Amino acid sequence: MFRHTMLFLGYELKLTLRNPVWPLFGILQPILYLLLFAPLVANTTVGGTMGDTLRLFTPGVLMMIALFGSLFVGFGMINEIRNGYLERLAVSPAWRPAIVLGRTMRDMLVLVVQALLVIGLAFLMGMRASAPGVLVMLVLMAATGLLASGLSYGLALALRDENGMSQIMQFFALPLILLTGIMLPMSLAPHWMQTVAHFNPLYHAVEAGRSLFDGDFTDGSIPLAFGLTLALGALTLTWSVSSMKKLAG
Amino acid sequence: MIIEAHGLRKTFTAKRGRGKTEQVEAVRGVDLEVEAGQIFAVLGPNGAGKTTTIRMLATLIPPTAGTATVAGHDVAKEPGKVRENIGYVGQAGGVDENAPGRDGLVLAARLGGMSRKQAESRSEELLTSFSLTEFADRPIKTLSGGQKRRFALAIGLVNRPPLFFLDEPTTGLDPQNRANLWDEVRALRKQGTSVLLTTHYLEEADALCDRLVIIDHGLVVAEGRPDDLKKEIAGDVVTLRLGDAANEPAQALLSAEPYVREVRTEDETLRVYVDDGEHNLPHLLRALEAGGLGIQSISLDRATLDDVFLRHTGRSLRDAD
Repeated sequence: MFRHTMLFLGYELKLTLRNPVWPLFGILQPILYLLLFAPLVANTTVGGTMGDTLRLFTPGVLMMIALFGSLFVGFGMINEIRNGYLERLAVSPAWRPAIVLGRTMRDMLVLVVQALLVIGLAFLMGMRASAPGVLVMLVLMAATGLLASGLSYGLALALRDENGMSQIMQFFALPLILLTGIMLPMSLAPHWMQTVAHFNPLYHAVEAGRSLFDGDFTDGSIPLAFGLTLALGALTLTWSVSSMKKLAG
Repeated sequence: MIIEAHGLRKTFTAKRGRGKTEQVEAVRGVDLEVEAGQIFAVLGPNGAGKTTTIRMLATLIPPTAGTATVAGHDVAKEPGKVRENIGYVGQAGGVDENAPGRDGLVLAARLGGMSRKQAESRSEELLTSFSLTEFADRPIKTLSGGQKRRFALAIGLVNRPPLFFLDEPTTGLDPQNRANLWDEVRALRKQGTSVLLTTHYLEEADALCDRLVIIDHGLVVAEGRPDDLKKEIAGDVVTLRLGDAANEPAQALLSAEPYVREVRTEDETLRVYVDDGEHNLPHLLRALEAGGLGIQSISLDRATLDDVFLRHTGRSLRDAD
């Protein structure tokens, strides 16, 4: 079982490395946010120095990568259902959960590499953050990736339709991002909005990220974020694995 | 018997919009017996239930009713055991379009339990025998239809399955590639691999298989060796064009001849099934002349599986879609 998962992971990684342009493209937008939006915030009254602003802003940008990068991984799978690739895997001796698990692990690894690049850039721009905090943040990134890609594969296997899937993504992605306080801290939001934001797991992940970057490991948002993301990740992963099993009776 | 199926049925619930559903009986009771080492064809028009049948046997969908034993294991109770013994190539091919074919081969081999080294040498072997070496490291999506199909076959065979399922293997291939694929399937039989394939091409079933079933509307209408099936209806067919007015008297006249098995009207032509056509054609001509019926055109052919299909369903396979 583990061997099959590793085989799929190796196969998918090799495929990603053949065309590393796409994951790089994926962080272009977050990088633009860092370059063009962070200085803007730094100049307003809420921000302090550029370094402070970046420390506040970078965890949000990282979560944005985790969400947007992973939510769309399922699109490729729809095509693989259509051309019979997954169907063939389903009647091969492959352990079927490995088909999803291998991909999910690939997605998580890609996320960590993307995150390192963005953090590196922020560092060059003047951000100073707690090193152990950054490390824990990378783990949280991976967990968010697990949640989002599990959801994406699950949706792909359930809907099998690109149009329906992109509509659903649109519907979820924007409020999730807006209610996360990526652009500006949610503490600036009116009370009702802060209440709503508490129901958004990404909000807690970003809050946790900010504490971690500050080197504050005692903040309650950290265990809350890990707990929520891992629990929801386990849920979406189970869903996509069981949908994968249903591909063959 | 490498495949034994009894009373296989599959009913799908199709959505009809606004919450309405409809029961579609795709397969309505199919019996199959395939001996090890044979090439066995399931022939029928589109929508006859061929694909549904092969998908049930390959453990992709569970049968609604009936039982099937494939390679000694029950498809419903031990699908995992069945999967260890089969290769399956679906209509769409089922290869990862983005990866190079070699990667797909090695992955399939390693999933089947081979070590990296074994997998690499087995892949090399198949690349050579399917003449794919020069395309092995290009993404599959850059290859032609025939090359893709060959990769699909190679991947299906990588673990040397004793039984190989091919769903419409030559649909969309040009004549040259089709002939090549036939050769490859024949080569499998030589190595002792059993093959079950579905097709709606008569020529394919005729040229390739040892035995076949003809299915129509989810039921088996004929089963046997191609030659035996054809002999059952007669060895030869005389196709006559006489002009509309003459068809009916000619049918009555010829049906009375002792060497004529059956006369069918098809559009403006008569199809006369006769034994030993070369010998009896002169008698037939004389009989028509004696009846005062003029012939516009005439041809003598061997009976085909289409004649078998026509006999059992009252339709020509070419019109049945």
